[in-house]
Amino acid sequence: MKTFLKILLASSLALSAAAKEIKLLNVSYDPTRELYAEYNAAFAKYWQARSGDPVTISQSHGGSGKQAQSVVNGLEADVVTLALAYDIDAISQQAKLLPADWQKRLPNNSTPYTSTIVFLVRKGNPKQIKDWNDVVKPGVTVVTANPKTSGGARWTYLAAWAYALETNNHDEAKAKEFITKLYKNVPVLDTGARGSTVTFAQREIGDVLLAWENEAHLALKEFGTDKFEIVTPSLSILAEPPVTLVDKNAKRHGTTEVANEYLKYLYSDEGQDIAGKNFYRPRSEAAAAKYAANFTQLKLVTIDAEFSGWAKAQKTHFADGGIFDQIFQP
Amino acid sequence: MKTKLKQLIVAAVAGAQFTLPALAADSAPANATQVQIPAYAAADPSGNSAEAAEIKSLKQQVEALVQKVNALEQQRGPADQAATIQDLDQKVRVLARQRENDQDAAATVAKAAPKLVIGPGGLSASSADSNFVFNLKGLVQVDNRSFLNEGIVRGSDSFLLRRARPIFQGTLYKDFDFQFTPDFGGSSVQIFDAYGNYRYRPWLQLRAGKFKVPVGLEQLQSDPVTAFNERSLVTGLVPNRDIGFQLWGDINGGVLSYAVGFFNGVGDGRNAANQDFEDHREIAARLFVQPFKNSQNLALQNIGFGIAGTWGNVSSNSTGLANGNGFVTDGQQQFFAYNPAAGTVVANGDHWRLSPQAYYYYGPLSLLGEYAISDQQVRKGALAADLQNTAWEISGGLVLTGENASFTGVTPLHPFDPRNGQWGAFQLVARYAELDIDKATFPLFSNPGTSATAAQAWSVGLNWYLNKNIRVNASYSRTTFTGGGGAGTTAPAIVTRQPEDTIFTRVQLAF
Repeated sequence: MKTFLKILLASSLALSAAAKEIKLLNVSYDPTRELYAEYNAAFAKYWQARSGDPVTISQSHGGSGKQAQSVVNGLEADVVTLALAYDIDAISQQAKLLPADWQKRLPNNSTPYTSTIVFLVRKGNPKQIKDWNDVVKPGVTVVTANPKTSGGARWTYLAAWAYALETNNHDEAKAKEFITKLYKNVPVLDTGARGSTVTFAQREIGDVLLAWENEAHLALKEFGTDKFEIVTPSLSILAEPPVTLVDKNAKRHGTTEVANEYLKYLYSDEGQDIAGKNFYRPRSEAAAAKYAANFTQLKLVTIDAEFSGWAKAQKTHFADGGIFDQIFQP
Repeated sequence: MKTKLKQLIVAAVAGAQFTLPALAADSAPANATQVQIPAYAAADPSGNSAEAAEIKSLKQQVEALVQKVNALEQQRGPADQAATIQDLDQKVRVLARQRENDQDAAATVAKAAPKLVIGPGGLSASSADSNFVFNLKGLVQVDNRSFLNEGIVRGSDSFLLRRARPIFQGTLYKDFDFQFTPDFGGSSVQIFDAYGNYRYRPWLQLRAGKFKVPVGLEQLQSDPVTAFNERSLVTGLVPNRDIGFQLWGDINGGVLSYAVGFFNGVGDGRNAANQDFEDHREIAARLFVQPFKNSQNLALQNIGFGIAGTWGNVSSNSTGLANGNGFVTDGQQQFFAYNPAAGTVVANGDHWRLSPQAYYYYGPLSLLGEYAISDQQVRKGALAADLQNTAWEISGGLVLTGENASFTGVTPLHPFDPRNGQWGAFQLVARYAELDIDKATFPLFSNPGTSATAAQAWSVGLNWYLNKNIRVNASYSRTTFTGGGGAGTTAPAIVTRQPEDTIFTRVQLAF
């Protein structure tokens, strides 16, 4: 009787193992839907050809900060592809799901592509918005997301701050004044970058959308170049959205190998081509050259050089009681 | 003419007072004409040539001024209106978008909030992600037993709290269920259920703890939904609850249900104590088939049949014998005991049970039947025997108010609400059962003068389901005996001297 039961249990478990499908969950920031829809299909095909195993990748999108908090609270991400390193650091510190030195594990500080912040305006640019100083003028309505929840909004804020410092002899008080004026012109704060695009492009609110470069291009593609146009400011920030494995989740799911390959494939020729095609600035020279026409050359400041890194920038500007809380009252 | 001039001057002045301030607010053109009306022209319209010339001049100035005002109004009016409309349009869009965002935020907060529900199923609390679910249910049964045959020996009429159970259930991480059920209804508090259950799949589950052994069909039916106050004589031969673990599942939505378990082992009709009474184990297994469960044919959907059994071994222990060392009637009076004239009987050796069983439900009609064999090796001193007792029952019901009957009870379509002419659901029920003691039991292992060799019981009743949670029932049971009833006053002979006629009533609250 005991032997029979052991055989019954073992058979049941073996049957279950044979039927197992590899599933990954990629928790990403708001505007990467189109990128990962295309990339996931390409990776699944690559992995099937290489290993013979089918893999299904599910996506979750939202404001980068919110997404990071969701993973901390139990969302079982195998990989995260967020807007800024600080949000991934939060997952490491609060939930201990990955090591503190995660950023060293992949090339270019685990950033397979970059982006920046540009302006999307109505066709004809009726308010003649050419640079950051036009955005703070009275009568100009600005659309951007909430830097408390959106990674893109934090890059935007810092780009504006960097411009204000550059044009005011690095006077912090004037920069604060500049940022205050900017957010006075913001009537709606969405939680994520995609929400802001909806506000501007679909709800037709505002004169200018401060957008991820890729988001601006996607808006042109979707709504037509007869509706909007992109204005590149004189200065912006080099946005480096990183990617990484969520070690403990992947280990528990038995997906570490596939998840690692999923991230590495972003650096492959195909991965870089897909990034460029979706208006992200590829790291590879070949892809960068291929898609160079999509990307205007402009002065780009970096988080490290201009703000001494994300930890300091977060503490100074976006933490509770930081400068954003001081200048913006909902 | 002077009147006309006066009217002209008044109109010009009045018009200028309305138009000039508005124009000033909109940055009136630098060349706006200023009209000066001499005082004598308004006060003294005497009409000499100097005055006429001046009046003519004034008139020309006013006309020019009016023309300018008209021109400006035409230029700015529509543009102002368009700008205002656009501004308002943007404000409306902003408000609508803010509302959308607020609704999204509220939905996100609601998703994260725990849920609390109170309803016919009791109290249920669940975390937002459903990883933690807790249910509080309950069962209270207040019975009355009235024994008839006044003047002849009969049982004690009594009200009793038959069951009073809070039922704590829950699920952790979606796959791990638990249940804890203490009972306060008897003379002492007992733990009836205390188990955990892991659901790998509906067809493969593992249960461990104290729970009903998967054998008797009527025994497995939930306490609040049995047809009568007390289960039939068959239940005397099958185990109640025991401690162990069980692999079980429902295949293809319950077309085939199976269970196989290892338990401490418990005597017939017993509810196991919280630790084993000896060191052998008992295996229990059950297969139950509902071959047409997924069929569209309503007449066949609820046909079920199966077989269950146990096998174990007991070493010289009276606790291995039936509950109370004997068997009881519907009125819970003992009619058989292992009470030989001398010596003590103990269970010693193999004990196996087999129980084929079936039910059928179709609309308001219900039928349930089972047969049970309990084969037990016993010993008294140097004497040993293999005794096989059997029992069977057939019961049926008819819901009079049109609701469907089922193994899990009756739910009234029109809950009790007399103010609106609703009375709940009514069900007629009837049952016949027999229990036969192995003839080899007598006289060595039981006194034929005091224990019956068989009992036959038939019962009829009416169940009134006021709503999903409250039920009232009344029934009559008559149990007759074969044998027993001897001259001695030793129990259980008293019971077996005449048939037991009992009226049962119950008020039940279950949630």
